[in-house]
Amino acid sequence: MNSLLLDVKDAWLGLLRKPLRSLLSSLGIGIGVTALITMLSISEGAKKSALEKIHSLGTHTLRIETIVSAATGGSSVNLSQGIYHEDAVLLSEWLGSRGRVGEYIRSDNVVLHFGNKSVVGTILGVNAQWFAAENVNIAQGRALTREDVLRQSNYGVIGHALADALQVGLLSTVQFAQYPTTIIGLAAPKGRLLTEGTGLSSLDFDNTLILPIATMPFTRVIAGRALRDGLVISLDSKEERIILSTAEQVERMLLKNHREVRDFMVVIPLSLIKEARESQQVFSLIMGTIAGLSLLVGGIGVMNVMLANVAEQTREIGLRMAVGASKARIMSLYLWNAVLLTLSGGLWGTGVGVVLALVIQYYAGWEVVFSTFSLFLAPCAAVLVGVVFGLQPALRAASLDPAQALRDT
Amino acid sequence: MTLLLEAENISRFFTAGRARSLALAPISLQVQRGEFLTITGPSGAGKSTLLNVLSGLDRPSAGSVRFQGTSISSLREQRVALLRNVYFGFIFQTPHLLPGKNVLENVGLPFHYGEAVPAAEIRQRCQDLLDYVGLGKVAFRYPGTLSGGEMQRVVFARALARRPQIIFADEPTGSLDAKNARRILSLLKAQTTEGRTVIMVSHDTEAIRFGTRVVGLEKIESDEE
Repeated sequence: MNSLLLDVKDAWLGLLRKPLRSLLSSLGIGIGVTALITMLSISEGAKKSALEKIHSLGTHTLRIETIVSAATGGSSVNLSQGIYHEDAVLLSEWLGSRGRVGEYIRSDNVVLHFGNKSVVGTILGVNAQWFAAENVNIAQGRALTREDVLRQSNYGVIGHALADALQVGLLSTVQFAQYPTTIIGLAAPKGRLLTEGTGLSSLDFDNTLILPIATMPFTRVIAGRALRDGLVISLDSKEERIILSTAEQVERMLLKNHREVRDFMVVIPLSLIKEARESQQVFSLIMGTIAGLSLLVGGIGVMNVMLANVAEQTREIGLRMAVGASKARIMSLYLWNAVLLTLSGGLWGTGVGVVLALVIQYYAGWEVVFSTFSLFLAPCAAVLVGVVFGLQPALRAASLDPAQALRDT
Repeated sequence: MTLLLEAENISRFFTAGRARSLALAPISLQVQRGEFLTITGPSGAGKSTLLNVLSGLDRPSAGSVRFQGTSISSLREQRVALLRNVYFGFIFQTPHLLPGKNVLENVGLPFHYGEAVPAAEIRQRCQDLLDYVGLGKVAFRYPGTLSGGEMQRVVFARALARRPQIIFADEPTGSLDAKNARRILSLLKAQTTEGRTVIMVSHDTEAIRFGTRVVGLEKIESDEE
């Protein structure tokens, strides 16, 4: 057996000789590593959620919605009138070939019928550009065209979950209220629009029937101006600077068009990345400080126990030196002692951290992600603490004079 | 006879703050191969200090110790450790054994350091040594279950593990009854017939009779400077 293995084995046996002391001294490290693992998994989860949300909303997209008055309990009574079709036309002309402006009106909780099946879903009235602006792909059939909108055709594109629930295919006629709609397109799965925390309305694309906006039966018109629930603008440029400056100009144009009444909101998903990153950094800083302090306190505890071990084992150290152990080997033995102590704390701390993160996920509903990096980092941090705080006791053991150590009582 | 170990005018001071105390008065001696040298003298004469300096456990404040012509006083710590491992065996007054290791593992402790020896050979050699000292049947017991005499015999077996050239024994019978003391002394004596050298510190008159030569140290009267 080589000297490294012998030292590791002896160090491990040394820890087992005082199991309670070893367990207690590894507590601090274990708690520190638990905090580290939990912090990293929650942080990674938050990062993943934020990225998913931003990806769902579109990274080079601007979303504009009418502000709904809070005083009316969330009903669709507007502070002023909100977004108009004219706003969309203005922005579309200004953008030109730099982007597409999708308009929409929505109606939720509509009962749709096909044959003897009835399903509750959302109806969305859109212009032809909406498909490109919202990046909705068509799996079968075709999307709605400008002609469909102009002609007020009763064609529709159906989300795949809604199609499955109603068991409809292309050219089936779906009925809602007294309105029949012929399905000409089946949308590819897209999931939900993740809008939590943005103030935007959510939308389950897969459970939606999409109609030409002019065909939409629930259109509101004020003073001859057709109201819209929102606009989605997709920009060709992916440059952050251009997206942010375009958003600023869009907001200014709308404000001017609305006589400085802020009855709409502009959400820039790209800026959410910054916010998510900032809040994640604050969270990481707080949790990192807690984890760091725990590791520091744990390290001091380990150092204390190691110094006690060296003091108690002075004669043993003298004996090992007498039979041929060099100072380097004595140092190696006690350094391994400290590292194994902190590593064991690190390993059980990792296990507890994983369980704790899963418990938090279950009860708080926060997404947690365990990255290989964090699972690797935590035991490494524990080993580093072992080396740093075990160094002084190991040096003390190695610097003992063998003759004096053997005389120790 | 061959000269094995030579001390030339060695002395040892210990310092505590500004105070310096003499622990070993200047002494020169030569030890031949196969000799059983007994160092005797009253308490405070520096017997153990002399043994420690001769065995490389301590370094002299002045003078030099040469083993087979090489000055061990000037060797680096790592080389001295290797020298102790390969050429020297140790027996102390209190039998020092590692409590977490069984008897067989304690005997094999010198093999943790120095040149590697195959595990099977270590095991066989340690078992043979335990048989030699009459403890073959307790190989897997732990030190806490042994008597003082048995523990000292385990220490003796450990001292022979690396087949050393010199066995340093510091009051090896000090904590033993007469029967066990005689047993250890006989074992030590038997080593000299195999060509090993024994350097033993003792103030026991019966123990001294086992030696072939006696070096007497005198009490250091004025040891404060």
